[in-house]
Amino acid sequence: MFALIPLFPLVGTLLNGILGIRYFSKKTVHAIAVGAVGLSFLASVWSLVGLLRSAEPVVVKTLYSWIPGSLVRLLGGRTATVSFDFAFRYDSLAAVMTLVVTGVGLLIHIYSVGYMSHDRSYARFFAYMNLFTFAMLVLVLGANLAVMFIGWEGVGLCSYLLIGFWFTKDSAANAGKKAFITNRVGDFGFLLGAALLIAVLGTLDTAGITAAVEEGLLSKGLATAIALLLFLGATGKSAQIPLYTWLPDAMEGPTPVSALIHAATMVTAGVYMVARLHALFSFSGTALTVVAVVGALTAVYAASMGFVQNDIKRVLAYSTISQIGYMFVGLGVGAFSAGVFHLMTHAFFKSLLFLAAGSVIHALSGEQDMRKMGGLRKAVPKTYAVFMVGALAIAGVPGLSGFFSKDEILAAAFASGSYGIWALGLLGAGMTAFYMFRLIFLTFYGSDRVEPEAKHHLHESPGVMIVPLAILAGLSAIGGYIGLPRVLGGGQWFARFLASSTGEHEAHLAAGTEILLMLVSTAVALAGIYGAYHVYVKNEGRPAERFAARFKGLYRLVVHKYFVDEFTNGVIVGGVLKLGRLCARFDERVVDGAVNGAAWLTRKVSSLSIGFDTYVIDGAVNGIGTLHRVFSAGLRRLQTGYVYNYALAIVLGIVIVISLVVTVF
Amino acid sequence: MIPINAVFGFGLLIFFIGLFGVLFRKNLVIMLMSLELLLNGVNILLAGLSYHMRSPRGSIFAIFIILMAVSEAAVGFGLVLSYFRQKKTYDMDEFNELKG
Amino acid sequence: MIARLIFYFFAVLAVVSSLFVVTRKNAMHSVMYLAFTVLSVAGVFFSLQAEYLGAIQILVYGGGIVVLYIFVIIIVNLNEIKLERRKLFPRLFIFSLPALLFLQILNVLFMNRPTPPSGPEAGLTFPAFAEMLFSSYLVPFEIASILLLAVLIGSILVARKRLLHDSD
Repeated sequence: MFALIPLFPLVGTLLNGILGIRYFSKKTVHAIAVGAVGLSFLASVWSLVGLLRSAEPVVVKTLYSWIPGSLVRLLGGRTATVSFDFAFRYDSLAAVMTLVVTGVGLLIHIYSVGYMSHDRSYARFFAYMNLFTFAMLVLVLGANLAVMFIGWEGVGLCSYLLIGFWFTKDSAANAGKKAFITNRVGDFGFLLGAALLIAVLGTLDTAGITAAVEEGLLSKGLATAIALLLFLGATGKSAQIPLYTWLPDAMEGPTPVSALIHAATMVTAGVYMVARLHALFSFSGTALTVVAVVGALTAVYAASMGFVQNDIKRVLAYSTISQIGYMFVGLGVGAFSAGVFHLMTHAFFKSLLFLAAGSVIHALSGEQDMRKMGGLRKAVPKTYAVFMVGALAIAGVPGLSGFFSKDEILAAAFASGSYGIWALGLLGAGMTAFYMFRLIFLTFYGSDRVEPEAKHHLHESPGVMIVPLAILAGLSAIGGYIGLPRVLGGGQWFARFLASSTGEHEAHLAAGTEILLMLVSTAVALAGIYGAYHVYVKNEGRPAERFAARFKGLYRLVVHKYFVDEFTNGVIVGGVLKLGRLCARFDERVVDGAVNGAAWLTRKVSSLSIGFDTYVIDGAVNGIGTLHRVFSAGLRRLQTGYVYNYALAIVLGIVIVISLVVTVF
Repeated sequence: MIPINAVFGFGLLIFFIGLFGVLFRKNLVIMLMSLELLLNGVNILLAGLSYHMRSPRGSIFAIFIILMAVSEAAVGFGLVLSYFRQKKTYDMDEFNELKG
Repeated sequence: MIARLIFYFFAVLAVVSSLFVVTRKNAMHSVMYLAFTVLSVAGVFFSLQAEYLGAIQILVYGGGIVVLYIFVIIIVNLNEIKLERRKLFPRLFIFSLPALLFLQILNVLFMNRPTPPSGPEAGLTFPAFAEMLFSSYLVPFEIASILLLAVLIGSILVARKRLLHDSD
């Protein structure tokens, strides 16, 4: 049953892609696209129900024997039969992921009907969206790393296609390229890790790997190496340090794209992968620590940039990077289910925030700069309402979903003794609250800085856009309750549900400590909100400006995103280009030189043979003529016309004859 | 008895004198005369041989040669006359129509 | 003995006069010397017991050809033309050739011992001569007469004054 889940979007993309661009009306296109995702969602629900009812925690369905088995000698001496099948695996983790992907995806598809209604390439957009959904589902349903990689690459491709959707715009095309190439670097790590797995274990199967690790077939060093390589791939996909630079630029794409791909689904693929291979990562404690540290650093680093960005979508982009850092923190401290929990809640409120931002942009006829917004809460009240819900959720205000998931991560960090990570996480939480509400206050409060042009067309978004926003707002509000921790009276159903696929989390806190931690994080969040209020509402941003003026260097550093992009362009890209130019020069000089030299040689030889022909052969021919002429000129002199000369000739002849006769005798 | 060598020697001598005349005289008529000398020289040789061999064969042949000399002289003179009418000169150096 | 003397006498005479024939500038002188030469050669023939030949020689050569030459010289007024000498050097070179030939033949002759006279003594008589002429050499004899006829006609043709409407 669950194997059907990816089928519907695949059909949708084929129909829309092949026929839709030419033949279908807009209605048909979005009917097919939305319908496809809707059917997928239903299938996911059905599958979940089936899973809950059945006794088996895992179901694996092999669709197709891809690479048949062959006996291979592995690193370390063992021999094993290595084969790869195109197979799907459905367990609790897969269930959660498919529901998130199809559910949130469905809402975003519906929203897109309204948002993209004026766009020329309507069918192409939906074809790509469906394709993306298909690829993402393949990714999460993959039973082995090979199938996962198919999906992995597929979402990378769709990301490129969708970011550069408006490819006529240079910045969009470049952003698409940047995303794909940066991803590729990560994929390189993924492939190396996968190759090592094959070499050492002979399998890429999730079950196989887990079993192998538990049996102790893997040395710690190898496990760490593999895990780190795979994690490199995860950083690429999930926009962590060091491969995050593509995500802010990816905002060139349409807002629904940002919501779906860069908030809810694709960027979470890395988190999913680590969660899937939790056995491997747990076994190698070093790798896990690296994951946590990278996640924590990224969380704070990205949040800092959210303080100074002026583009509304860019702030959300950095926010995404930061939040995914949190997810990795959760995974890194061993609380895999916590990380996945945050993945789910983040999908809700981040896509909500993006779509709402899209609504704002739509209302302002395309304006994205917050400095040109302000006081919009009266103009677009519904958008404002949902936006507020999302902001509160992400800030970690108690009662909303974000609070529960974030808190679970922080608690796990504290519990496992990584106090440094906990502190970073706490700092990040405060920063998150601050920049998020900075965004809210700049956009919806304060003096009206909207351009007259935009103000003229100011309008609330249509219903088809508002309804999904409302649903997402609802989910952001209440979605956290399925993970309600015990201390607050809940049963931690979510974590228990996921335990079957992600393992139990060992560390536990005393109830009192946990409540204390919750209070601390709540205080930090509220402080952040108040800080933002103080700066941007009460004082119209003047404190911020004073701060920027006082710490000019620091300000410049952060505004320019720590000059990372400049560094990449200059050093790496420049280096590659230089290498390319070197090769081109080599080609020119040496290779072309050789070719030209051969041509020159040929020409010289041919001119030589021409010369030969002219002088020698023609010379011979002419020479014979000349010889002839000379001889006949000479001989002609014999024909003097004088008889006595002829007589002399006769005498001469006789002399010769007689001489001959005489000598013979 | 007349030694055959002497006859041969004289015959050859006259022959060569005639040859000398043919080659070295510019005057056409004298050249023709030298031709007669040539023939005479041959005749002497033949006569000598005939004498030596005690056979009339040689002199018969000499008769025929005389005949030929006569005919050739006659025709030659005819040519000389007609040539002279055209060229008005006997200079052999002028007779170079066959030049080239 | 006598024959030998006669022979030598006439032979020397012939040679000397022939020398003069080829070296005279004056054509008339050359003709005179030619006549002398011819007669001397006839004498040589007589000494060689080729009487018929000698007679024919006098008649034909002396009476015919020499006279012919004299007439031609008179007709064309030979002495009017001034003749110049040719250059010496080429002459010398050219002269060497016949000289060479002459020497060669002499050499050949005197290298071999002369064979003694052979054949019947009566071979030189006139009847023998006549007999051979009309038996072995009859055909050439007849052809010779045709030749003379041809020459007769030919020389007339060649020598006559060309008229404008001549077909030759």
